[in-house]
Amino acid sequence: MKLNERSVAHYATCDSPPDKTGFLFKKGERNTAYHRRWFVLKGNMLFYFEDRESREPIGVIVLEGCTVELCESAEEFAFAVKFDCAKARVYKMASDNQAGMESWVKALSRASFDYMRLVVKELERQLEEIQEAAGGDCVGAGGLQGRSKPSRRHQVSRSRSGASSSSSSSSTSSLSSSSGAPPMAVNYSAQRSIQDEVQLMSDCPKENGVAWSKPAVSFNGFAEEASSCAAWEACSDSGSNSGPGADGVRAPPVPRRRRGASLESPVSPGTGCFSKLHDWYGKEVEEVRAQWLQSK
Amino acid sequence: MRFNEKELVSLSRQPSEMAAELGMRGPKKGDVVKKRLVKLVVNFLFYFRTDEEEPIGALLLEQCRVEREDSQSFSIAFLDEAERKYLFECDSEEQCGEWVDSIVKASYEFMRKNLIFYRTEIHRLTGKDPLEQYGISDETRFQVNNGLQLTPRDTSSL
Repeated sequence: MKLNERSVAHYATCDSPPDKTGFLFKKGERNTAYHRRWFVLKGNMLFYFEDRESREPIGVIVLEGCTVELCESAEEFAFAVKFDCAKARVYKMASDNQAGMESWVKALSRASFDYMRLVVKELERQLEEIQEAAGGDCVGAGGLQGRSKPSRRHQVSRSRSGASSSSSSSSTSSLSSSSGAPPMAVNYSAQRSIQDEVQLMSDCPKENGVAWSKPAVSFNGFAEEASSCAAWEACSDSGSNSGPGADGVRAPPVPRRRRGASLESPVSPGTGCFSKLHDWYGKEVEEVRAQWLQSK
Repeated sequence: MRFNEKELVSLSRQPSEMAAELGMRGPKKGDVVKKRLVKLVVNFLFYFRTDEEEPIGALLLEQCRVEREDSQSFSIAFLDEAERKYLFECDSEEQCGEWVDSIVKASYEFMRKNLIFYRTEIHRLTGKDPLEQYGISDETRFQVNNGLQLTPRDTSSL
């Protein structure tokens, strides 16, 4: 099966901040010796390099659907990344100290896209509750109506993606209507108002997480305002894929959680109860920890 | 670059957010439009020959740009080689719009930004960090200033 390898390798080394980096010993495929490699975790992708200065990864492990366990190995501080598919390879790794092992196990257990999506949905729900409780207070940002929602614009990450966008941003404001992106990471202490954020965004060309450089508006003639609210309302419909509504634009909601697709575990109490789900993700980590403590 | 192909193929069989037969054209000169079953699963776009079980290929949807090319088609280009575009032809404007939207939202980095926004906003409105009760406030992936770091730092001690 083909993969856009060059671009995947680029993701490994581009300046988007990694979630975790460090040295680990990795057991080889054929050669069963452990080799020391430099690991970079970004999202649900675990890259490994020959060493820290290498420009290209030797390989990548797509972590979606994996489980992380302690493994019985002669090697100390070892753990394994396992998958629930036929003839899946087991990736054995080892840290050189206990803290490192725990830290990696924790990071890898929660590295999946699904987990991130879960947390996002939960926070989205919480924010909506707060806003509703506040009586739909609107921070009257220009162009946005109704609740003070996250702006639906795509965020420009000038510093992050490293690529310059050559497209003009003049028409981008209309584009933003049917997709949603919150503003750039805002420092807690900055306490930027929604208004500032909207301003920031309309000046920016959009990139990944990302974006579009050509206006869609000329094709669908969306009413910006109508769509602004529609997008997020659609999102809270727990994933129903409703198409554009009568108002002309209804952005598809955030991609729905894959049902029954959890490879890493049996029961899912449903996305209704976040804390249960979250605990469930955390359970693995707890078990590993407990096992390790017992074996001491 | 090595990758865990079996597991990725297995992932392609998962229920997907979006799947449809679209016209697809590769980025190379001389590539023509072919009918493919295109399937979006987490941050991967898989493409199959119709009725085949195993995908021909997968595209990781990080660091990419999705553009509307015309009323019914869109393209995906990766930031490291922006001139090379994968083109997709849909059956309708509506379908095209849905795909563009879904793909844009299908990146881990996009979700991270959402999360950081919500976290910040909730904190601003309530004075509380919503992640604290789950014990995940300190995880690197949820950090507010994650997006502002320009140099990767060694987090092996975390």
